[in-house]
Amino acid sequence: MAKKKSDEKNNQDDDNTKNESDLSSNDEEPNFSDPEGFVDDISDEELVGDILKLKPKETDGVESVIVVDGVPQVGPSRIEKLKSVINKIFVKFGNIVNEYYPVNAEGHTKGYIFIEYSSPVHAAEAVKLTNNFKLDKQHTFQVNLFTDFSKYEQIPNKWEPPEPQPYEGQADLHYFMLEPDAYDQFAVVTAQGSSVQIWQNTQPDPTLVEQRSQWTQTYIKWSPLGTYLSTFHKMGIALWAGHNYAQYKKFAHPGVQFIDYSPCEKYLVTYSPQGDPHNPDQKRIIIWDIRTGLEKRSFNPEGPTAWPIFRWSHDDKYFARIGQNNDALQVYETPSFGLLEKKSIKINGIRDFNWSPTDNIVAYWVPEDKDVPASVTLLELPNRNEIRKKNLFNVADCKIHWQKSGDYLCVKVDRYSKVRKEKNETKYSGMYCNFEVFHMREKQIPVDSVECKEPIQAFAWEPVGSKFAMIHGESPNINVSFYEVRVGQAPILLKKLEKRACNHLFWSPGGQFVVLAGLGSNGGGSLEFVDTHDFLVMNTTDHFQMSDVEWDPTGRYVSTGVSFWKTKVDTGYWIWSFQGKILKRFNMEKFAQMLWRPRAPMLLGEEKQKEIKKNLKKYYPQFESKDRMRQSKASKELIEKRAALMEKFNEYRQERIKEYLDNKPRRLALRNHVDTDELDADTQNVEEEVVEFFIKEEVTIID
Amino acid sequence: MKPIMLQGHERAITQIKYNREGDLLFSSSKDNKPNVWFSLNGERLGTFNGHQGAVWCIDVDWTTTRFMSGAGDNTFKIWDCATGKEIGNISTASSVRTCMFSYSANMAVYTTDRAMKQPCEMFIIDTRLVDDSISNQAPILRIPIKDARISSILWDNVDESIISGHENGEITQWDLKTGRQINSVKEHSLLINDMQWNKDGTMFITASKDHTAKLFDAKDLLLLKTYKTERPVNSAAISPIFEHVVVGGGQDAMDVTTTSARVGKFDSRFFHMVFEEEFGRVKGHFGPINSVAFHPDGKSYSSGGEDGFIRVHTFDSSYFEYNFDY
Repeated sequence: MAKKKSDEKNNQDDDNTKNESDLSSNDEEPNFSDPEGFVDDISDEELVGDILKLKPKETDGVESVIVVDGVPQVGPSRIEKLKSVINKIFVKFGNIVNEYYPVNAEGHTKGYIFIEYSSPVHAAEAVKLTNNFKLDKQHTFQVNLFTDFSKYEQIPNKWEPPEPQPYEGQADLHYFMLEPDAYDQFAVVTAQGSSVQIWQNTQPDPTLVEQRSQWTQTYIKWSPLGTYLSTFHKMGIALWAGHNYAQYKKFAHPGVQFIDYSPCEKYLVTYSPQGDPHNPDQKRIIIWDIRTGLEKRSFNPEGPTAWPIFRWSHDDKYFARIGQNNDALQVYETPSFGLLEKKSIKINGIRDFNWSPTDNIVAYWVPEDKDVPASVTLLELPNRNEIRKKNLFNVADCKIHWQKSGDYLCVKVDRYSKVRKEKNETKYSGMYCNFEVFHMREKQIPVDSVECKEPIQAFAWEPVGSKFAMIHGESPNINVSFYEVRVGQAPILLKKLEKRACNHLFWSPGGQFVVLAGLGSNGGGSLEFVDTHDFLVMNTTDHFQMSDVEWDPTGRYVSTGVSFWKTKVDTGYWIWSFQGKILKRFNMEKFAQMLWRPRAPMLLGEEKQKEIKKNLKKYYPQFESKDRMRQSKASKELIEKRAALMEKFNEYRQERIKEYLDNKPRRLALRNHVDTDELDADTQNVEEEVVEFFIKEEVTIID
Repeated sequence: MKPIMLQGHERAITQIKYNREGDLLFSSSKDNKPNVWFSLNGERLGTFNGHQGAVWCIDVDWTTTRFMSGAGDNTFKIWDCATGKEIGNISTASSVRTCMFSYSANMAVYTTDRAMKQPCEMFIIDTRLVDDSISNQAPILRIPIKDARISSILWDNVDESIISGHENGEITQWDLKTGRQINSVKEHSLLINDMQWNKDGTMFITASKDHTAKLFDAKDLLLLKTYKTERPVNSAAISPIFEHVVVGGGQDAMDVTTTSARVGKFDSRFFHMVFEEEFGRVKGHFGPINSVAFHPDGKSYSSGGEDGFIRVHTFDSSYFEYNFDY
């Protein structure tokens, strides 16, 4: 539009200059007339081609007019009503200066209208947002700019194939996986995104990869495979990827606060809890296709709104949510984004569900209802087979925990021995806890049960392997128990660590190692690094007031952080080795968030991995020597740095020491010629003084 | 290394200082009574009774014959070290915040706080003869300080200039012949709590509320090094034998009741003077450390804290064996 305006301006300017030249020719002084016999063989096109282009067109000045087609055809009696309806829709975009409803001989409207705005900007906005607007079932608006007519008039008769655009290769989005030493990246955010830094966890010191201020307005999030970095802005979400963290896509969703990626990074769900105040029709949840940047479907939340509202199956094929009134599970399929088989799955009273991380199986639970006991059901999709159902009694609450490899499912069941109804609240007493373990890979999915009488503080599966750990008991008698699940057996208690100061447990992504942590104000920031192979406590330490613990994606490092969101003093993040050795402390003011960049799963097959594990001894010296070289290089660098500092310092000192020595006579004069430069410099003047100290009193009785 | 605890003060320690030989340790506290101790075994040698308010600053001359103290009771007193008797008393308009003998001890400087329309002032007095008449004697020099008050002071080793540290983090150098300001730098952003010389008086270290201690060149006030911590620094000292500095501080005394000792970080922290790297910490105080001092032989150091204790630490042999590679 702006361009057009300037064009107009040029037009005017040209007019002015023309007038001026007319004026000057009236003066008659120089003779500009053609000599006789002159034949004008230059066409206007050649002479003033550039000006001709700016020749006013019929449609100039009508850029602010739009044509709306598909308007209901009504008789003269209802025309006023129609006008008010139409007005309501179109007045949103700007001041309407003129409107025209063409009518036929009988006074019926013809089904199309013209609207003129005060500015072309408003017209363009109106076209953008009302084209294909559904007024009702029969009427859908087709909205065009009036100037479009000239655009479509000029369509050449002969079709010319479009020029093929040179292919611009997509930047390698997975370059960070090609790091030869498998150094991981992590992002650090300080308060309100005032600074976002990307670091690479190189050894011995991390290196800064990228730093931008105001990169995000609140916080950041990595995509699940680490390809994209998402930043939050008032107007929506921006994704950054590739070598230089170039902007990859933008998703406009005003007021967005939460996002969720589908597990394969195909889709992005954005949620704006307040919605867009300027556009109330905007849905509050939008699902986007990440690669095209297009909106796939939008929803308004209904039913319980614990984020994420939609949960994705592992292969991005399905996503589901609990329907309104907890009476159904709504499963949608991609890429059509319609309900699976066009209907939701009726499950009365469904409370919570979770997808298996590896199969298209949903586990959900429903509470007791009159005579029907509570139950946990495994539902296979898309065929809706109930592959296992387990009834449970005296259930207060259930938590569904899938093991990351999808081999086991554990449902933590909070059970009561007494129940009391008070007003509208149900009060449970005599709580105890059951863990129902489903063996997913065995025939008919046998279920085992482990009971625990004490309150449970935390529960977590070993991501790969067959162990799970829980923290139970009440302060100060908090214990950590490790169980192992085996084929055809009930879970076995492997080890119970007693009297620990922790309330959270974090398994290494590779299994075997676990960090027991005391988070929050009463956790004290205690840290315990445990090897569950032989239950060796490798280190016990702390990071005071720590609020976060996170393993790096390879399970080699652990980061702990004190976030500015929780406490105001001593914020920062520390990096530990998996054995609990402190590697780096970064104390920074207003530190908010530290996130490891996730990695895509390993492409090596299971057998290859096993082979590598078997031959680990072969590779060992290779890495060892590399590490040693790096260490020695680092210490060499440090020593060089120190030597340089020392040299500089000594250089400066030389001069000062000389001055100091030159000043000696003056100092002597000031202190009665007693040399006090060194403690024992003035040997003649020393006066020995004997001071007796009372050291010990002993009473000996002599008979 | 088990420290010797000097338990004689009833309130927070404000300053500690060794005499030149290091056999005695002088201490002042908010309990009005400066003490002197044997640094070797921590036995108390005596007390200077006479002040009515918190004693903010102390100094002892190079011959350990006279001791002086400035206090919140608006007096500045000079004492005889041997007897503990008060030999001179000067009344001031506001509390005395800093004081120091000159190198020759023929002069002394003290500064007063800005309070109740009273400006902060620096006084230089003649201390060659101290008796009752000192209270009526006119100072050699009297400099009113217009802006931020003086919070710490140092006297050079040729009796020619004074360096003052201010409330706003400024450091100013004064020429005593003219009474003019020669130089001024602002490298700290907050109050300078303490300044101490290195052994030969060519460099000094500052301790500031802005969480840092800094090393300056004494001649042109050039910033040489910075030692960063996470808490306000109340005092810092330079080892006379090694390139080490010790830094003491911790959470502000005002906020201490709301924080545990662990958050407070009431440790003495050791830095390498040149590399600015921290290499050791000494725990012990359960309030912020208000003053630290190295023994002149460099084999021990002391710290005095808000908790009212003075801890005399004698270094283990490992301290002397520890070397930075470079």
